[in-house]
Amino acid sequence: MALAIVFIYAAYMKLREPWLLFAMSIDAYQILPEWAALTLGRILPWLELALGLLLATGFGLRYSAASASIMLAGFFAVMVRAYVMGMKIDCACFGLGDVIGPRTLVRDGVLLVLSVGLTVLALRKGRGFEASQV
Amino acid sequence: MRKIVAGFVLSLAALGAWGAEMRSRGVSTAPILIDVYSDFQCPACKVLHENTLGQLAYDYADKGKVYLVHHEFPLPMHTHAMEAACYACAASRVGKYQQVSDVLFHSQEIWAANGKVDETVCSILTPAEAKKVRALVKDPAIAAEVQKDIQAGKTAQINQTPTMILTYRGKQYRIPGGNYDILRRFIDQLLAN
Repeated sequence: MALAIVFIYAAYMKLREPWLLFAMSIDAYQILPEWAALTLGRILPWLELALGLLLATGFGLRYSAASASIMLAGFFAVMVRAYVMGMKIDCACFGLGDVIGPRTLVRDGVLLVLSVGLTVLALRKGRGFEASQV
Repeated sequence: MRKIVAGFVLSLAALGAWGAEMRSRGVSTAPILIDVYSDFQCPACKVLHENTLGQLAYDYADKGKVYLVHHEFPLPMHTHAMEAACYACAASRVGKYQQVSDVLFHSQEIWAANGKVDETVCSILTPAEAKKVRALVKDPAIAAEVQKDIQAGKTAQINQTPTMILTYRGKQYRIPGGNYDILRRFIDQLLAN
């Protein structure tokens, strides 16, 4: 449930700002071409919202937890890359103004561990596993 | 008496705004205000200055759509950033802020390594301007102007450089990164509203 709230909150914080600003944050990582940053800037908050709702309801938990883990692993990898490269940019995890640093890395690392744990449990226990157990 | 008091108050306000105005581009009545907080020794600020701000000034500030205001925000970890900010402020008093900013960013790696800020700045000034700027840099009012910018940045919770804050119809947006194409789309979208 904690993971679901995090995803919904992250989506809310992004959706309340103009999507072009979020696209600029993605572009600042200097990984994707501009068109991809624009596309992702428009759809990623909605994906996070959908994933958060799925995690909260426990519907298709194995898939939603696995998707959340893949997404968080991706976020964590690009954040580590930016930090190692010395890029002073916004992580854009929960809106703007959160510069990538040890605190943001630890926070996202913990979320990734939580998500992987949930995925493993969901895969082991199958459909009967309830989201509320995490 | 009222007129005298009002005049005095207006003069004080004008004096306070003077420093910022000397480091701005465009007209203050433009629909969009963009405050830029930067540090002359910061590599990302150099990139923003060279890839984004020039174009932004040309496309929007010079056309009365954006009022671009530069604020000095030298970071303590950059040993010569404060000195560079003071020189830029002093240069603004002789109308050479833009040119001095250009040369400071252009030669950033050189003066950041050898500390020759004075030499870098004065290389693009006439001897008379250089003399005036050197005298102004020693004036406590210049250091106070930089401190005022730093304080404004802290109040605005600036935690990195460069930071751009766009204000439109009373709403503030923190601009992440410096992709000019996306920023242009955003500004156009705001202006179209």
